[in-house]
Parts: sequence; structure tokens; C-alpha cells
Amino acid sequence: MIADNLITERGVSAGDEWITVPADNVHEALAALKGEGYRLLVFLTCVDHLVDQSRPSWPGRYELVYQLRDVEKLRELRVRAFVDGDPPEIESATDLFPPADWDERETYDLFGVRFKGHPELTRILMPDDWVGHPLRRDYPVGGEVVEFSEEHQRWQTPPDRA
Amino acid sequence: MSSTESMAGTEGVTISRTGQQGAFGGELLTVNFGPHHPSTHGVLRLIVDLDGEQIKRLKPVIGYLHTGIEKQMEALRWQQGVVVTDRHDYLSPPINNLAYALAVERLMGVEAPPRAQALRVIMSELTRLSSHLVWLGTSGLELGAMSMLMYCFRERETILDMNEEISGFRMHTSYIRPGGVMADATPRFLDMLASFVKEMPGHIDEYEDLLTMNPIWRARTIGIGRLSPEDAKVLGASGPMIRGSGIAWDLRKTMPYSGYESYDFEVATSDACDCYGRYLVRIKEMREAVKILDQALQRLPDGPVNVDDRKMLPPPREELETSMEAVIHHFKLFTEVYSVPAGDVYVAVESGRGENGCYIVSDGTHKPRRVKFRSASFVNLQALERMALNHMIADMIAIIGTADTVLGDVDR
Repeated sequence: MIADNLITERGVSAGDEWITVPADNVHEALAALKGEGYRLLVFLTCVDHLVDQSRPSWPGRYELVYQLRDVEKLRELRVRAFVDGDPPEIESATDLFPPADWDERETYDLFGVRFKGHPELTRILMPDDWVGHPLRRDYPVGGEVVEFSEEHQRWQTPPDRA
Repeated sequence: MSSTESMAGTEGVTISRTGQQGAFGGELLTVNFGPHHPSTHGVLRLIVDLDGEQIKRLKPVIGYLHTGIEKQMEALRWQQGVVVTDRHDYLSPPINNLAYALAVERLMGVEAPPRAQALRVIMSELTRLSSHLVWLGTSGLELGAMSMLMYCFRERETILDMNEEISGFRMHTSYIRPGGVMADATPRFLDMLASFVKEMPGHIDEYEDLLTMNPIWRARTIGIGRLSPEDAKVLGASGPMIRGSGIAWDLRKTMPYSGYESYDFEVATSDACDCYGRYLVRIKEMREAVKILDQALQRLPDGPVNVDDRKMLPPPREELETSMEAVIHHFKLFTEVYSVPAGDVYVAVESGRGENGCYIVSDGTHKPRRVKFRSASFVNLQALERMALNHMIADMIAIIGTADTVLGDVDR
């Protein structure tokens, strides 16, 4: 198992093992786990804990989740790291796990988390000129104007011609 | 030079010059392939650098079908979310339902009864068949085997009829739900399934007669789109993409769910590592799916199809007339709905395209905090550049086809 000083918390949720590592050491921890046999990054994503009352206090607003799999021993481990700040920043894992490339772009696009060292951190699902990060909890559902609707027409027409 | 300039005016094709030198002394051309190209199975745009007709660099641009499904799930209650899961991978709705239902069930600590599990397996395999049929039909069509589409859609129609019989819907069935399934299978459904299981192997022989030894099909697929086993592993490919590279990784065998461990079937693999290998894998998988369907039908257990938990599923209609308790449960369930204990869980199932996972975070309320779909297409599409490099632009069609990405699944 990786050095205990890297793990701040560990547990099991609904049968899935997880560990929490400090955000600054996430790259180091993932590299150590990869050496132990967790060679596949199943997915990488983010959870926004804004006003989440399921725990008295969260270590940070954004939780980065890395699901790792050891395909030989058939075991899985979830690595979690909490980050804060605007924009939140964490080190990229693309050099360790190539599939992290698009996952990190998606997380940047939808949550605004910046991955330091990513080769091309651009939006992937939303248009390039989009403002805001839609999966943040303070981004409203239905907050954007629907194109080609009446509202869109009103929104496009300059005030002096309305 | 004049020919490229005249192409630049064609709709859907934009050409720009990179100024880089190609191997034959000419410049590399950047061609915009798609997004509205019939062979991309959705709306996929590829930016391709060409040296003559050879692909030297390729970059997929996605997001054209992004519908914010994960955001919508956060605004819906637990049992309403099922309807949305149908729609991301629109060729395999019941398998998407299954991933979501299993995840919610694991968080709640319940397990579906045996009959529900068998019905889930039946629906999953039917879906795998219909998804592979769409793949085979459209890929055949794109590579010149027009009649494949007619044959494949004929059998797919039977499967859609069965979907309609069991759930009322032909495509977006929402049949598999947390706690069990929507309704028990009707006798007519079981009859239809029995005759389908009997006829399908003959139909698969027909497809093989048309394609397996067909010189045009072989010329277009053998040696095209090579993905080495090492690359497949490193790039995280799953489903027929990794099995077509010779690695027997199938979640139904390696990490079984819904009782798949009790069925007797083989994992289809091919060492060819090319488009033809992936074709063989899918054909074999269709045969195995029919085998599983046959077994499931033979030993379909009796019993309820939903968990007996009044806090999660509504009481039967008859009970409402005699029991006050049932009325209270019914009212509470449809006004307040159930909450799921706080925690997070990841469940992966094998869809026609590979590992279809659902990661759910609950904060203990009646709506999920976060739902993430780990879609096989999204990850498999990242291997496209590796497969297409140094091939002709016309081979792109075969490569995109056998990668079998569903763009709704990529963009979610």
C-alpha cells in the first residue's frame, strides 16, 4: 500500500474502497498506486459539495474522484482529493494515465477545475465561447437562453430596435 | 491545386493549408471531416491532416450532442432519473437503466429478486443484439454492403416489438428500475422470445454468408485500423474494441452482476486487432447473446419482480382499497419519494460498446448530488487517432464504423 503519510482518510462506501489524499500529493499518490498494479484509470470526475449537509464540514468544495482498477487482481480503489479556490487547481494525471486527457478536459469544461500540466486544457463538450461551468451547483438549470426560441429572439434584438 | 480549391466550395468540406511538408514534397492539407457526415453515426467532427490521402494527424471534436444529462439528473428525483438514463446511449437503453438501477440499489442495500434479475439479463442481451444489429447494418451500408441494413433492421424490428410488448415502449423502455423491473413479462413476450431464440442463429448465419468471406468486405476491413493489445490496455478501451485486440476482458465474466456468473457463455475475442477482428467479435457476441437468452428463458424463476419494500416501491393497486397503511405509503412515495443514504458508489456493466458505468454520489436527500456516466464510447473514441494514423482517408469510414461509438453516449 502507498505510504500512509499520503492518506488522510480511508473508508468503504457501499462496498467500494476509497482513500483521500491531500490535493498537493495527488500525482505522487497516483504514481505510487500505478506502480502497485492499479494501471487503469476507469474515470476521473469532480463532485461539487456546495451546501452539502451530509457531513458537518467538507475539506474543500470540489472533490476530484479517480477510480482506479487493477485488472490482474480485479480490485478497484477510489482516490479522492479536495480542492478549493477560484479557479480550483490540481496536478494533471495525463502523463500517468492517457485516458485522463479527455476526462480532465471535461472536468475543466463542466466544473472549471484547472489541471496543471495538461497538454491542451480546452473546453470539450460546451462551445469554446461558453461562459461558466455548467455542472457547478450554483449554475442554474434552465438558466441559459434556448436558441431559436422567442426568448432568444428578444435576447438577440438590440434594445433600440425592440 | 485547382481540384482542392474546387472542393473547398463543397458543402461540409473545408480545406486549409498547414504549410508543413508531406512525404511526397507536397503540403499537408487540413480537412474538416463532419460534423454532419453520414458515416460518423451522429455528429462527430474530425480535423484531419492529410498527406495526399494519408492521415498524418487526427483530432476528434465532440460536444455537438451534449444535452446536459448529468445536470438534469441532479434536478430529478431518484426514480425519475431512470427516464433520462435511457437517452445517453440511445442504442442500449435497458443496459443504461441497469447500471443506474444497480448503483441505486447498492447504495440502498437492497437486491432485486431472482425473477427480476433474470428479466434484466434477458433485456440486456436483447439490447446487445439490437445494438450490434444496428452496428452491423450501418457499417455494412457504409462499406458498400447495402442489403445488410435491410436484413439487420428486419431482426431489430422483432426486438423492438418485444420491447413494446414488455414495457410499452419500443426504444426508450425505462424497463429496469431501482428495486426491480417495471412489470412482469407477459406470456406473449415469452412466446415471442422463444421463437426469436429459435430463429436468430439462422439469421446470424445469413449475415455471415453475406460478409465473412465477402472479398470487398475483407479488403476494406482486414489490416485496417490496427489497435495493438498494449495500446488498447493503455488507452483504456473496452468492449469489442479490447476483445478485438485479443484481450478477454468482459465485465460479465470478470466482475459479474445480475447473476451473469450462472450463465454458460464464452467471451468472444479475436487476435486480428483490426476492423475485421472487431467484426468477428461482434458476430460471436451475437451468437453468445442468443445462448444466454435461451438459458435465461429455460430457467426463468417464478416469484415477484420487485423488492418487497414499501418505502421504495408503491404497493399493489388492490392493497390500496383495503389497507390504510398502503395508502399512506403510496402518498408518501409519490409526494416525498424515497431518499438514498449518503455515500458514493460506482457500478459498471457491459454494454454493446464496452464498459458502461454509473457513478452516483448521494447526500442523503431525495435527489442525487452527482451522477456521472462513464461511457465506453467516450473512452474508445480517444483511440481513434492511434487506429487511423497512416491509413487512407477512405478507411476512416471503416475505422469509425467498427469503433461503434454512439455520439449521444460520448457527449451525454
